[in-house]
Parts: sequence; C-alpha cells; structure tokens
Amino acid sequence: MAFVSPRTISKAATLRDSILFVLSLAAMLWLVLRGAGQMGYSWHWQRVPGYLFTLEEGRFIAGPLLQGLGMTLAITSISMVVAGLIGLLTALLRLSASPVGRGLSRIYLEIIRNTPLLVQIFCFYFIMAPILDIGRMTTAVLALSLFEGAYASEIFRAGILSIHRGQWEACHSLGLTRWQGYRHVILPQAIRRIMPPLTSQAISLIKDSSLVSTIAVYELTMQGRAIIADTYLSFEIWAVVACIYLVLTVSLSILANTLKRRVHGAT
Amino acid sequence: MPLLPETNNLGFDRENMVKMRDVCKTYAGGVVALDHFSLDVRRGEVLVIIGPSGAGKSTLLRCLNGLELIDSGSIVIDGIPLDKNEANQLAIRRKIGMVFQSFNLFPHLSVQENINLAQRLVQKKSPAQANTITRDLLHRVGVLDKAMRYPDELSGGQQQRVAIARALALYPKIMLFDEATSALDPEMIGEVLDVMRNLAAEGMTMLVVSHEMGFAREVSDRVVFMEEGRKVEEAASAKFFTQPQQARTREFLSQIL
Repeated sequence: MAFVSPRTISKAATLRDSILFVLSLAAMLWLVLRGAGQMGYSWHWQRVPGYLFTLEEGRFIAGPLLQGLGMTLAITSISMVVAGLIGLLTALLRLSASPVGRGLSRIYLEIIRNTPLLVQIFCFYFIMAPILDIGRMTTAVLALSLFEGAYASEIFRAGILSIHRGQWEACHSLGLTRWQGYRHVILPQAIRRIMPPLTSQAISLIKDSSLVSTIAVYELTMQGRAIIADTYLSFEIWAVVACIYLVLTVSLSILANTLKRRVHGAT
Repeated sequence: MPLLPETNNLGFDRENMVKMRDVCKTYAGGVVALDHFSLDVRRGEVLVIIGPSGAGKSTLLRCLNGLELIDSGSIVIDGIPLDKNEANQLAIRRKIGMVFQSFNLFPHLSVQENINLAQRLVQKKSPAQANTITRDLLHRVGVLDKAMRYPDELSGGQQQRVAIARALALYPKIMLFDEATSALDPEMIGEVLDVMRNLAAEGMTMLVVSHEMGFAREVSDRVVFMEEGRKVEEAASAKFFTQPQQARTREFLSQIL
C-alpha cells in the first residue's frame, strides 16, 4: 500500500518550510542592505556593543540600552501585577449583584477602551500627575496598569463565565460563601483557561510600555531615541531595540507555555 | 403534656425534616415549575419523586437548598425557615447535601481535596481531621484507592460515588439526589445505587429524583408522582406501584415499567 505516514509528510513539509523561511529572511536582509546602500548609509555595528555594556578592568558596566531594558522590565512587571489585580477586581465587580459596582466598572472599561493609550498617558502626565504629585515612573505604571487592566478584566470575565454553572451549584450546596467559591473553585479553573489570552495581554503590555518614552521615562525605547539623537545610528540601534523586545516577549510566551503544561486540568 | 410542643411559632416540628407549604416557582419566561406544592418529609424517610421531564422535580430539590428562590409559600427545614435571612439560608445549606446528575466534582482538585475542601472551609477542620473523615468516607463508597487521583481519571460511577462522599463529609441531615444515575453508563448505575441503598439503611433522610423504579420500589418509603408542578399522586411505595389511584399515574407507570 502506498500510504505515506503523517510523520514522513510532516518531515518533508518541515524541510520545505525551513528552506522558504531562510530564503525569505535572506530576501529581507538583501532589501535592507540595498536600501541602506542606496541611501549611502554607513554601518557602524562595532559601536553598538558599547551602548549595551562595557567592561572596565573586567567589571561589567551596563550601557544605556541595558539600563533602559532594566527600566522596561521594572515598569512592565509592576504594571502586570497591578493590571492583573485591576482586571480581576473589575471583572468581579461586573459580575456582582451590585448595580453601583457594575456601573462603575462599565464606565471605566468604556473610557479606557475607547480612547488611545497615548492620550491616556498624556492625560495622566499633564493632568493627574501634578494633582496627585506623583513622579514620571509612577505615572507610567499607573497609566499602563489602568489601560491593560481594562483588557485583562474582559479576559477574566470571559474565563469566569466559561466555568460550568454546576461548579457554582456544588459550591453553594457545600455551604461555601461566594468568595470561597471564587477563591478555591472558580478562579483556579478560570485562570488556567485564560492563561493564553492573559499571556498575549502581557506581551501587549511589554510592547505598549514603549509609549511611555513620550513622557521621558528612560526605558528601552527612550534610551534608543537618545542614542540615535546623539549618533544617528538609527538602523543599528532600532534593530537592536526591536531584538531586545522580541527576546522579552518570546521568553514570556515560552514561560507561559511551560507553566501551562505543569498544572493539572489545564484545558 | 408532651415535653416539647408538637409545633411552635417557628414552625419547629419534631417529626418532619422538610415542610413545604403552597410553594410556587415560575421561571423567567413563564414556565411554571412548582404550582402550590406542599410536601412533608419525615426524619429518616426515603422519598422518591418521579414524573415526566419538566414536571418540576429538579426545581423542587433546588428550592429546598436555596439554589432557586421560591416566589411564594414557605419551606421549613429541620425547624429553620428558609427566608431572606442569610444566616438561616447558610444554616440550611449546611444541613443539606446534594448530589447532581453531572457530578460537579472540582476538576482541578484531587479526589481527597474535593472532599476536604468544604470540611476545611466551612467546618474549619484541620487537614488531619479532614483527611481522617475523607478516607473513611472513600472507604465506605469503595474508592479509597483513588484518593490521590483527579476526577477526570475516574469512571462516571466512581465520580458519582466521590460526589456522594463529598456531600456526606459535612454530616448533612438530608441528602438530595437529582437524577444521580441518569448520566451513567448502565453497568455503573448499580454501584451508585448500592451506596444510596446503604445510606438509606443507615437512616438518612433522602429525597431522590430518579427514573430507577427498581430502586424506588425496593428502597423508598414513599413515592410522589409530579406533573406540571403539581402533586398528582403520593403513596407508600408498595401501594404506589401495586395500586396506583390516578389514571395519569397508571399511564405513566405503564410507559416506563
């Protein structure tokens, strides 16, 4: 019989796809190089490592780009936690019996989702920050958390609603309070289910954090802009900055996938 | 003079565990599930409720433990009225164990954790105390060897026996069974009915919605036949199956027996 096993097909397909992938990369690289050549761009890759880090007498000293990365990591990790909490709270309020809670969370959602993040950042920086007397870093974290929190709340809400009604009924009949039901039965299951969209949201957060460079928070993008303003190394520095973001976001997806495989009952 | 009055103004009743009077329940959309329904269940009694689908059998059970709110009428469970008072509602929920058609085990917890959860949260037992009770119950329902497994690793019959153990762990005074065997493969129905039979023999007050006529005839003390939210016929089980009074009951029995 002339059956081809799925494995053979997938091997052949993988080989063909890999060749296509390498060819596409080569074509893109060629386009960039040709463009730079036509512009008369002179490459100075040798200057780039100095902006990442320097070694003085064997001591490691972080350059502006790595310092910027540190700032980006600090802002995004704090914002992720705060956005998660805001998202969860908003979702619980929207699902609560209280009309006030539902109304407030709805207003918050609509305002955040229907205005541009950049405008929100400016509002926070020029209006809220002077009133509340908070620094640029806090403003950045607050604006990003409130923005991503709105999207996270929709993910939480969908996750909670996806849990079968019978789970609530079992909690109820066992005499658990509403909060105990959420804490021990509904949320543990919902969070496993929403890990993939929540990871996407965290990745969006990392990318959106570049917008706080507009209020002069010295994170990765801001450091890149500052270096380019001094040196005109726009091709090299933007390429390196993009690669650093890519490494961050890809590592986050891999981490999320590993976590997902470890927990039981993740469906 | 008796030491305790038969009833006082709270509606306490030494004889009856469940006392329903004129209970009405209409779902949004206008479906009448219970229509002036009254029912008394004595302590230790096993009551089987039968009837065609849509008769209000499940609603009856769900109203008793507050999963559904009644529109009018009154329910008193073991002397406590089921009303707007949240403390009363909680007290009643903790007196009643419920077993569902679809088991409703918690899929993210092991069998042992499923049964420990409410003991720890509701009764504030220590892990060791809870484990002792859990393992004893798992032994009684015959799934002790699965204590560390997760629900999706168990057969339907095993899952339902775990669900019964989970409800029993809180020492309920009443057990409600809502079509507990309807979702099971035929060869697994027997093992669940055996557990229910043992429970009845131990004197548990049980309200059982079921299509298992063999079980109803053999184990129950009384059978209620319902249709369209009303009680059509109610009789001691021996009499119910041998001498049904209503034409509608005879028709129903002839269809399912």
